[in-house]
Amino acid sequence: MTKGNNKMLKTCIYSAFAILFTLVVSCQHKEGDAHSHHHGVMDKIEAETGKVDSIPISSDYLNEHIKKIVVDDGEHHFLIPERESHMTSFPCSKCHTDDLDKIQEPEKGKKAHWDIKLQHADISIMNCTTCHSAHNMDKLRTITNETIDLNESYKLCGQCHSGQLKDWKGGGHGKREGGWAPPRVSKTCTNCHNPHSPGFEPRWPSRLNTQKIIERK
Amino acid sequence: MCKENNHSPLQNREAKDADLPLEAAQTEVDGFDQVFDMQMNRRSAFKRITAGLVAGIGAAATSCSVAGSEKSAEKAQMEWEEYFKGNYKVMTEEEKKATVKRIEKSYEQRSGNSLSVSSKEATPGVLFGYAFNISKCQGYMDCINACVEENNQDRSTQMQYIRIHEIEKGHGINFEKADDNYYHEVPAKNHFYMGTQCFHCENPPCVEVCPVQATWKEEDGIVVIDYDWCIGCRYCMAACPYDGRRFNWQTPEIKESEVNKNQHYLGNRLRKKGVMEKCTFCIQRSRNGKNPACVEACPTGARIFGNLLDPTSEIRWVLENKKVFRLKEDLGTEPKFWYYMD
Ligand code: HEC
Ligand code: HEC
Ligand code: HEC
Ligand code: HEC
Repeated sequence: MTKGNNKMLKTCIYSAFAILFTLVVSCQHKEGDAHSHHHGVMDKIEAETGKVDSIPISSDYLNEHIKKIVVDDGEHHFLIPERESHMTSFPCSKCHTDDLDKIQEPEKGKKAHWDIKLQHADISIMNCTTCHSAHNMDKLRTITNETIDLNESYKLCGQCHSGQLKDWKGGGHGKREGGWAPPRVSKTCTNCHNPHSPGFEPRWPSRLNTQKIIERK
Repeated sequence: MCKENNHSPLQNREAKDADLPLEAAQTEVDGFDQVFDMQMNRRSAFKRITAGLVAGIGAAATSCSVAGSEKSAEKAQMEWEEYFKGNYKVMTEEEKKATVKRIEKSYEQRSGNSLSVSSKEATPGVLFGYAFNISKCQGYMDCINACVEENNQDRSTQMQYIRIHEIEKGHGINFEKADDNYYHEVPAKNHFYMGTQCFHCENPPCVEVCPVQATWKEEDGIVVIDYDWCIGCRYCMAACPYDGRRFNWQTPEIKESEVNKNQHYLGNRLRKKGVMEKCTFCIQRSRNGKNPACVEACPTGARIFGNLLDPTSEIRWVLENKKVFRLKEDLGTEPKFWYYMD
């Protein structure tokens, strides 16, 4: 290293100290200010809410592949995935031309929908026609016998599970498709719950930290 | 030829400045200047400078031995710039862009594969928040796996940003008695599950104790770390009341095919060993409108994420309609991570 360079480094350091000194002084000012403004995040949220109209982030690009339908009850407005096109046995009417109540042979029926076993509440409350319209096979039905599209099964579930329906609409039960950014696309009930057996099965965790066990010994 | 090439790093730097248009050379504060501008109690600052000088000479020497190879000269220049880059926090937008470009290029040279490192800034009007539904979590730990893969964490040390605590019902929330490394069918009878990670406090104590300002809170509320500025002193780890920070004992070792190439400078980019890391709400995802990997991976919907400033967001609905609470609320840290039950 040459002498010239040493000299330069020295001047560099000296001037840096000078700058640092002023920095420290000005920093302390700033710090003091920051402390006097300390408040809760709720205050901040309240104060700054409403400045979101022009946010350029959208989750459209994440949900392009999903065919969607609208949920709108006046209070909440969002989208859910369309279901009918994903069902292997839809439309039901391609096989069921007769009313459901005319089917009298349970054995045959068992063979046809062998994979469906009702495990939802108990049999005195629930059978196939509690939910499926006996006369219009391609639709669901309400307790008062109005028809519901299979795509809008949340309306069916909501009759008996009004608390979950409310939470789901608000966003406290269930989950988003794609991202957090608007427009909101949420999974519908049957994306997570099999309507015929809606409980979640127990299973094993997806990992075991062997290293942690060793470290903690 | 060799002799000419073998000038000292300082001259090297002058030469670099001379190449720039006059204006830029005068106004741009490069990493070298920043090293001096930053606090001097940064104990490694001098070490780093001297080491840098040595490295610089080394680089110059290397370029000499393969004299004529433009590529290696470019590489040396890149290494040089990388070494003396400043704290990301005080970089201009151009400097940030140049920095991430450099990381992309050097990865390409090393591995032959391309990488995308983002320097995307916070969006005004966005403040990120998180809610965790204790009655929904089933203890599957899918979130942890997703987090490790998304964030390029080292596989062998099993260091993880998220912990899931299995807690027996009826005794409140007691982490002393919780098990965060269970392995049996879940959910276990009479137990509930609670996830913890960095809570991205509005008043983060970890930021205050950092002696070198290597960690700070961004405008969208995410608490981040400049891994290249971190000296690994672990003050922040001690200051965090929530066990939210991790020290990495090893350079992340990940199969090339498993490296997540979609990165952010302040997020999941490949780190060196001996620095602090933690959850960044998957900044590389969230700033693009996506949910963090843990939220996306959770099959139960126990994890809710969104913009606290958007009155129509689900996170806001939860805050306004559910009995929410945060851990150690009395500390005044103001976590942006809430828990609730059905
Ligand atoms: C591939 C043909 C096919 C399709 C499509 C189909 N079913 Fe069936 N289903 C059958 C057959 C065959 C039976 C046995 C009874 C019979 O003879 O009709 C049956 C029986 C039933 C029964 C009464 C027996 C039982 O299992 O308890 C119900 C309820 C039923 N189907 C509902 C539906 C609904 C709802 C759909 C549409 C979502 C549907 N099915 C679509 C063929 C079909
Ligand atoms: C609790 C209400 C309910 C009951 C009870 C019920 N279903 Fe369903 N079923 C549904 C709903 C809702 C769907 C649409 C699910 C979806 O969105 O994928 C459906 C779908 C189906 C399908 C189409 C499945 C597919 O993926 O192709 C068949 C077939 C069917 N039900 C048969 C039956 C039979 C047979 C019974 C009686 C054993 C029965 N269901 C009882 C609610 C019910
Ligand atoms: C006619 C009323 C009725 C309808 C319609 C109905 N359910 Fe249920 N559901 C019940 C009853 C009753 C129970 C049992 C509650 C209990 O055990 O406490 C139940 C239980 C459940 C459970 C808990 C299961 C468990 O094992 O823990 C889930 C989840 C569920 N229903 C989801 C749904 C979904 C999704 C739909 C719409 C596809 C739906 N229900 C439609 C009456 C209904
Ligand atoms: C993201 C997936 C998901 C969606 C979407 C979802 N649920 Fe659930 N639901 C769960 C989980 C997880 C549980 C808790 C596990 C369990 O108890 O089996 C649950 C539990 C339930 C229960 C049992 C009681 C309770 O609250 O724990 C009912 C009833 C229920 N859900 C109904 C619904 C209805 C109705 C909808 C649609 C309006 C819906 N769910 C949408 C995941 C979901």
